[in-house]
Amino acid sequence: MKSAFIFMAFLWCALPRPVIAQDEDSLRVGVKGFVDTYHAVRTEQPNDWMSSRTRVRGEVSVEKGHAGAFVSANLVYNAILKERTGFQLREAYAYYSDQHWDLRAGRQIVVWGVADGLRLTDVISPMDYTEFLAQDYDDIRIPVGGLRLRYSHEKWSLEAVAVPVSSFFELPTDTENPWSVGAIPINNEPSHKLCNMEYGARLSFYLSGIDFSFSALHTWNKMPVVCNGRGDYRRMTMLGADLSVPVGKFVVRGELAEYLDEAQSANGVKDMPRAASTNALIGIDWYAGNDWSLSAQYAHKYVAWGEHRNTGLATFRLSKELLHNTLTLQSFAYVDVTNGGIYNRLSGDYALNDQLHAIVGYDYFHADRGMFTVYDKNSEVFLKLKYSF
Amino acid sequence: MKKIVLIFAVCLMAAGEMNAQQLTGRDIVQKVKDRPDGNTRYGEMELTLKKKNGSTRQRKVTSWAMDEGKDTKKMMFFTYPGDVKGTGFLTWDYDQIGKEDAKWLYLPAMKKTRRISGSSSKTDYFMGTDFTYDDMGSRHVDEDHHKLLREEMKNGYKCWVVESVPVDKHEIYSRKVSWIRQDCLIAAYVEYYDKLNKLHRVLTTSDIKKVQGFWTIHKMEMKNVQTEHSTMIVVKNSQYDIKIDKALFTVAKLEKGL
Repeated sequence: MKSAFIFMAFLWCALPRPVIAQDEDSLRVGVKGFVDTYHAVRTEQPNDWMSSRTRVRGEVSVEKGHAGAFVSANLVYNAILKERTGFQLREAYAYYSDQHWDLRAGRQIVVWGVADGLRLTDVISPMDYTEFLAQDYDDIRIPVGGLRLRYSHEKWSLEAVAVPVSSFFELPTDTENPWSVGAIPINNEPSHKLCNMEYGARLSFYLSGIDFSFSALHTWNKMPVVCNGRGDYRRMTMLGADLSVPVGKFVVRGELAEYLDEAQSANGVKDMPRAASTNALIGIDWYAGNDWSLSAQYAHKYVAWGEHRNTGLATFRLSKELLHNTLTLQSFAYVDVTNGGIYNRLSGDYALNDQLHAIVGYDYFHADRGMFTVYDKNSEVFLKLKYSF
Repeated sequence: MKKIVLIFAVCLMAAGEMNAQQLTGRDIVQKVKDRPDGNTRYGEMELTLKKKNGSTRQRKVTSWAMDEGKDTKKMMFFTYPGDVKGTGFLTWDYDQIGKEDAKWLYLPAMKKTRRISGSSSKTDYFMGTDFTYDDMGSRHVDEDHHKLLREEMKNGYKCWVVESVPVDKHEIYSRKVSWIRQDCLIAAYVEYYDKLNKLHRVLTTSDIKKVQGFWTIHKMEMKNVQTEHSTMIVVKNSQYDIKIDKALFTVAKLEKGL
């Protein structure tokens, strides 16, 4: 009842209304959002429904002078995962922003790094893997409850983050879920105590020929690490750096992150092993012209412990805009280089009019070993309709 | 008396010749580029894309610009339609030939800023319109060879007719011919020819008025005569020399949004 009331209030706020005024001292209200419906069916036996959900997303911002607030929430009906039906608060934060300072307090998504779809330095906001990666990437990010303070200058910015209320990966452990990874018991998430707070900073430079950043974060392994058949969370520290360099029609991207004292998976051990890992990524974007764009990334992880010390993951993206940007064709693939598995999302997005898009696509999985094995039979076709306001 | 007329005629011819000698095609294009437009600018644009069958689509953007010497910094946000609302572009345009512009794209759905190529998109069409990024920005004068063809009246205004041929043979047009109004230094009409030297696109500007003492185009239509697709841009609420802080043109403000 309470959530229904909150949602009614939310919907009232979400009704499209014009921005009230443009001058700085008046109250400014901005509203946007969408309604979408997404349905996917398995292309292999038993050809069952993999996803069937409809939702309303509303985003409301209210600002007066330098201060304001932003709320983003979903109302979802999920025909497959019943427990996902209902009201979902995404972001809800208050902010103060002037020429140089920007302070955000509350539930927010924090994105670091320059990688696409891969997380090296981008370890603050975790991922919702309830339907694995078969969701839009922006839907997968989980907000954290925290404080973010940024001081920005013309060519650099310094950002400090404190997260007293951490969020952790959501994994599909319910065996009824078509995307289930199995019934893995997972220990309770760390309690919301001051001593469990995450904190860190990022110093970024934006120059005419290069962007680069340095980052440090005292955090958690937010994906539970399975030790002796049970998932758990441990503290770790991330030290990272990233860069983007435009070179003609190309942009070269790189990230490096050292995870100090990272928890490692093991069986038959008394205590969960801890070891440093080195994570490196190199990527290249090619803006080929004529509305073609290509991107490739390779990420390598080296763990200073155990038998399987090296793992590699690559991504490839190819997209083309057609018909005056009304049709976008795209292929985005993850390749498990270590084990030979692949997940490829092929999609076509057609704008029926200014507000309404129809998206059709095919998710292809193939793996004999490695991270995609559990989804080897999950190839699916999907249809999505999205009305934006 | 006959002698006086003759002297007057010779003087006129000499003056005309001197004018022609003094003003080359490059000079005219440089004058157009140097046309006063304030040190800072603000504007709202409505872009209407029209197909051959008459169906239309719309985009709306809000933009700010600031000159820093010969360089220009620009910030632009989409305000319509909903799926791209909040998407922002930050550009640092450098006047120096060979120095790549710096560009960033902010995608609100991803909560992420991407550094994008500063050179590749110039010949691509801007968000599906019939304008290229180059048409929307300020092309460097010496990226083309310019030739003054003639002077003639166009739509009731005295114009210089200038042909511009790109130095870089990879540009999407082989040449363009511009009718530049002499009273306000604005191209009233431009023809773009494709690689086969066939007329490809035609730009028509209209509703040119002074705002705060600066000549301002309020309407421009680019029509692809080969596909009959066209884009009309209506400029609203133009403001010049407004008080903007340099801090607006930073990645932090791009991520903060409108």
